[in-house]
Amino acid sequence: MVKDLVTNPNVVLRKEFDDWAVLFDPDTGDAVGTNPIGVTVWNALDECDTLEDLATVVRASFEDVPDTVQDDIEAFVADLLAKGLVGKVVEERP
Amino acid sequence: MEGQDEFQPAVLPQEAPRVMRTPRGLDIALTARCNLRCSYCYFFDNEVVQYEDLPTEEWLRFFEECGRLGVMDLTLAGGEPFLREDLHELIQGIVENRMRFSLLSNGSQITAETASFLAATGRCSHVQVSVDGGDAEAHDAARGEGSFERAVEGIRTLQRADVNVAVRVTIHKHNVHRLEETTRFLLEDLGLPGFSTNSAGYLGSCQQHSSGLLLTVEERSEAMEALVRLERAYPNRISATAGPLAEARMWREMVDARAAGAPPIPGRGCLSGCGCHATKLAVRSDGRYIVCGLLQDDTLGRINEDALQDVWLESSTLATFRSRHRVPLRTFPECRTCEYVDYCTGNCPALALSLTGDAQRPSPDACLRRFLEQGGRIPETVVETAVRPDADRSRRTPS
Ligand code: SF4
Ligand code: SF4
Repeated sequence: MVKDLVTNPNVVLRKEFDDWAVLFDPDTGDAVGTNPIGVTVWNALDECDTLEDLATVVRASFEDVPDTVQDDIEAFVADLLAKGLVGKVVEERP
Repeated sequence: MEGQDEFQPAVLPQEAPRVMRTPRGLDIALTARCNLRCSYCYFFDNEVVQYEDLPTEEWLRFFEECGRLGVMDLTLAGGEPFLREDLHELIQGIVENRMRFSLLSNGSQITAETASFLAATGRCSHVQVSVDGGDAEAHDAARGEGSFERAVEGIRTLQRADVNVAVRVTIHKHNVHRLEETTRFLLEDLGLPGFSTNSAGYLGSCQQHSSGLLLTVEERSEAMEALVRLERAYPNRISATAGPLAEARMWREMVDARAAGAPPIPGRGCLSGCGCHATKLAVRSDGRYIVCGLLQDDTLGRINEDALQDVWLESSTLATFRSRHRVPLRTFPECRTCEYVDYCTGNCPALALSLTGDAQRPSPDACLRRFLEQGGRIPETVVETAVRPDADRSRRTPS
């Protein structure tokens, strides 16, 4: 699911308090708050190919990560996609 | 001032407020020039201000810094921002640095070309145009002959280009009896979805013309009654974060709370009347950082010389403003015995400064007790809104 996704280059990751942040899309004015795990997923998204890769990054960055983390990441990424904060890579026609 | 010697500000021993890493937005006076000289303008006639403009490169450099720090919104004002010959270039700089923007204008300098440019950026939240009446007589009284027609033409130009238009009505002696006509004109003739209101305050140029502009207690009561009636006739289309409508809501809540012997309202009873400094900062046209566009005297540094994040996190002036909400109103002699003290916010610090010489005390301008003692009336019922005056983000704006 992740390989064909790319973070919207116009979206700003704005850190506010501690590692909590806002993902701000200046084209729509939408701002979505996210916790430090969301920030880690956002920063790793363009480098990772699969949900497992993302879960591995999260497990390496935080302690006591629940077993359901991959499902949570999937739901988070789906939400970002629905909000236009990430998009699908489209192959150019030859 | 009576009792001022006894004044001992005290900050409650609570945890210091958490400060976000950078401001979410900035109010920027892009220019010190204006083609009008409105008699109530807060921007002009501030003795300490250097009325000068910065070159394009300075602003562009600063916008880059804002973008790097994740600032989301810039509000561009002045003076009259549409007088900047390099406005397109400046806005391009904002867009390239992934921010949104809005403009505050008198409407007179907006061309079709600029309106189309604003629409094409996709980042313009709105252009706010000041309209103070439903006809030239009411509007031009404080803003100068011919300004009504040009403001209306500016609005129509923006509407044709599909730019969001916000209108602000500033209420003063010359238009206070014309609120019905003003509302009909804006909502019916111009077809605007809504408009906001405030009133002229004892700031800037208004200090020289205050007796001919500022509302008396009777006029203020009348304005409140008219606006509450109009708000009922046009639901959710008239808003206010300062001025008579906001006061009607706030004061009705305070009077009802006192009559019911209600417990203190959370967040009140202290100098909590302004929260702008938690999320925003302002910059004067000469590049000096200030706490808010209405508090022009106290500068916190200069753009491109002092890093925005350092000013935001380390300014002692900002720290003072951020601890205002921990200063109990009971500390002040004038509030100590007031029956409304547990429900009051102490009101706007800029007006406190201009009226008392000290921003860190209650402003007498929006003192409920004083208003009632002088014979003021508050409408019996008001329409509840989600936005309370103490949540204000943009009280009085120029243009
Ligand atoms: S109503 Fe006036 S006197 Fe009473 S607490 Fe508020 S500012 Fe002070
Ligand atoms: S209120 Fe606005 S239009 Fe009027 S003089 Fe001031 S900056 Fe110019």
